[in-house]
Amino acid sequence: MALVWYALLGLFVAGYLVLAGYDYGVGLLLARRGTPATRRAGLTALGPFFLGNEVWLVAAVGILFGVFPTLEGELLSGYYPAVAGALVGVILVTAGVQQRSRPTGPAARRGWDRVIVVGSALAAFGWGALLAGLLQGLPIDADGHVAGQAHLATPFVAATGLALLTLVAAHGATFLTLRLPAADLPATARLARRLLVGALAAVATAAALGLLSDRVRAATRQPLPAVLLLVALVGALVAARAALRRGRPGVALAATSAALALPVALVGAALWPAVLVSTVDPAATVGVTDAAASGPTLRLLGWLLLPLLPALLGFQAMCWWVFRGRTDGRAPVYW
Amino acid sequence: MDTLLLARLQFATTTSIHFLFVAVTLGLVTLLVGMQTAWFVTGNPQWERLTRFWGQLYVINYVLGIATGIVLEFQFGLNWSGLSRYVGNVFGAPLAIETLVAFFLESTFLGMWIFGWHRLRRGVHLALLWGVALTAYASAFWIMVANAWLQHPVGYELRDGVAQLTDFGALLTNPTLGMALGHVIAASLLTGGMLMASVSAWHLLRRTTDFALHRTSLRIGLVTAALAVTMVQGFGFAQFGPVGEFQPTKFGGGPTADAAVAEWTSRFGPGDYTPPALSSVGLGFMILIGFTLGCVWLLLPLLWRDLVIRLRFPLWLTLCALPLPFVAVLLGWLAREVGRQPWAAYGLLPTDRAVSDVDPSLMLASLIGFSLLLGTLAVTNWTLLARHAARGATDPALGRPPGVQDDEPRPTPAFA
Ligand code: HDD
Ligand code: HEM
Ligand code: HEM
Repeated sequence: MALVWYALLGLFVAGYLVLAGYDYGVGLLLARRGTPATRRAGLTALGPFFLGNEVWLVAAVGILFGVFPTLEGELLSGYYPAVAGALVGVILVTAGVQQRSRPTGPAARRGWDRVIVVGSALAAFGWGALLAGLLQGLPIDADGHVAGQAHLATPFVAATGLALLTLVAAHGATFLTLRLPAADLPATARLARRLLVGALAAVATAAALGLLSDRVRAATRQPLPAVLLLVALVGALVAARAALRRGRPGVALAATSAALALPVALVGAALWPAVLVSTVDPAATVGVTDAAASGPTLRLLGWLLLPLLPALLGFQAMCWWVFRGRTDGRAPVYW
Repeated sequence: MDTLLLARLQFATTTSIHFLFVAVTLGLVTLLVGMQTAWFVTGNPQWERLTRFWGQLYVINYVLGIATGIVLEFQFGLNWSGLSRYVGNVFGAPLAIETLVAFFLESTFLGMWIFGWHRLRRGVHLALLWGVALTAYASAFWIMVANAWLQHPVGYELRDGVAQLTDFGALLTNPTLGMALGHVIAASLLTGGMLMASVSAWHLLRRTTDFALHRTSLRIGLVTAALAVTMVQGFGFAQFGPVGEFQPTKFGGGPTADAAVAEWTSRFGPGDYTPPALSSVGLGFMILIGFTLGCVWLLLPLLWRDLVIRLRFPLWLTLCALPLPFVAVLLGWLAREVGRQPWAAYGLLPTDRAVSDVDPSLMLASLIGFSLLLGTLAVTNWTLLARHAARGATDPALGRPPGVQDDEPRPTPAFA
């Protein structure tokens, strides 16, 4: 039972990283020099999906609170700086994207665009740092308290934050190859291919630092799946680049989406059956089953979610279907 | 400064900002549903213009509802990890249900609604707005279930010091839920109605174009506000019963309060179990505002032959009354929440056990950071709202026909 819920939590977190990942990627690309029209084109491409993407995060935290209350408290407060930083980023992107076109002056729009860039960078880096922090464990003592936040200050955490940043940038550019008018395809694809090289380098650096870190090695319970998933991640990035070269943006987006979902699976699999590994007291390590709520709560939420899940996914799919295809002169413009 | 005080201040700031925006969301979406349905049924383009104008303001306002809401949701884990540890099994369920049943769908629908003009069939487009409104109400319901449980924990059993859910039905029939929910929804309608009436009053005072449009929304706003203020008063006074019965310490002492304090002293050790007096002062002012706003009924007869507009001073009154509902909603929440002190869950979990065990300096940094961030965003959002309200209904970006871009410099609108 707890395993099913754990997988569902993973689904929502991964869904968030994949969907909001291209929001942040497109946000980061606003940092490039360009005309107001090119910046607007990127945001129009996000358009109808933007609001439906960030709710995956809200839902993930909801599941975390309802189904894994113990985990919620210790996870968020134990990695306070990473979570708070990512949260600030999410807020800046949410506010920036929705408001940047409300003023008509170009200077105000440029200012909001900078807000979006900073927010996207913070969000991607913060979530990356959180994933890395999970992989290296944290100093939980016997009462479930975490002393200080210095445990986050390691090169591995920084490298993983950067790796996620480059991953979302490449993912965002790949998303644009699929959404912008066909005339823009060659230029966008070139950009995406270059960003994918950067992402590969960043992922390799983070992986090397992780393999060298004895905290990561000590915290990992399932080394084989972890390494296999890492290889799959690299494979997805290589495949995305190849697909772009062959002019298959759809395949490329599927591959970069996989690249953003795989780190979540990697963290879940590497630590299984634990979720929070204590570096100071093995008895304080939190396992998936101890973190879960008790039977009645799980049953209640299960009965509720079972019929609801198809509706949730169905309405999201409706949104993708209705607004599929490339943007053109007739695409609705609002952000 | 201790972590507890800082965490409470942070919660107070962020929730207060959240509620200032979601009250408008909840009120306006109700009126929007009415207007778009009228457009669908009658086909009269006036209703379309009204929907676009108010929809634009609604969508701008919505931004901060989301931004602050996300911060709130994370705060439970960041700052109040004891809450999830001790009562998460019960309190987490309604919050989880809310995010899945309500927010997830609400935002998905809203995204499609914003971008669906000229693209979806009109019936589908209208259905999306209905979906947004219904899920917004669902979210108010579930969040109030969660809040009512903190006010008066029911349907649980303590095992090893941790609350376990035993009876979910009891959460739904919580005596501190029904009247409070009615009161909150009525207060939101009052806020939305007053906002609509005031913006229209401003345009009518300035004699901007679009007389007919602003006349209509003035009427809708005033009638909504009048009906809502009566509901606010009714549900408000009805709250005193359950609150007095289940939270004896909230509004001052008395024999039941003393008995409760004696019991808590024996269970949790000696301590100060009375809330700060400040909370009931705020309540008094809120009630005063409630009666002041009740005077909106006096304006309704003046709708006859547009006397409200022709006499002009009723328009000024409406405009000046705009801050009142916002002040009242804050005072009401402060009374409800501060009056629950020193409990995070009344009689069950003291706030000092609910707060996270993080360093005060970290909590202070987070308090300052989030307050500045959300405060700045709130002010910029209100500025944008005021500008768009002042610009009038000539050409809102929402629902603009495709192909029109506004990236090219254009003549500045006359009233911006
Ligand atoms: C437009 C806003 C507004 C107005 C005019 C009023 N209220 Fe209110 N009141 C609220 C908005 C509000 C609120 C923000 O919605 C609260 C906070 C939590 C809740 O349940 O509703 C609230 C709380 C609240 C409580 C506290 C319940 C508790 O402590 O658990 C009481 C007793 C009342 N109200 C009673 C009244 C009365 C008798 C009013 C006037 C005749 C009145 N309110 C006007
Ligand atoms: C209905 C959903 C809500 C829930 C579940 C909720 C829950 C909480 C929690 C967990 C705390 C911290 C613990 C405590 O200090 O007691 C708190 C405090 C507080 N909340 Fe709420 N809250 C809700 C809505 C609101 C709203 C809408 C407002 C304001 C507009 C508000 C105002 C406050 C204030 C001012 C405090 C600080 C009081 C104090 O601790 O001194 N709450 N609430
Ligand atoms: C402490 C308690 C609360 C928490 C944790 C909370 C959480 C949230 C979150 C996460 C969102 C954003 C959802 C999205 O991404 O679309 C949101 C929006 C919303 N909240 Fe709250 N909320 C609280 C209190 C309240 C209260 C008391 C009400 C009303 C009675 C309310 C009504 C709404 C509504 C109507 C929205 C959607 C509209 C908008 O975003 O402006 N919330 N809330």
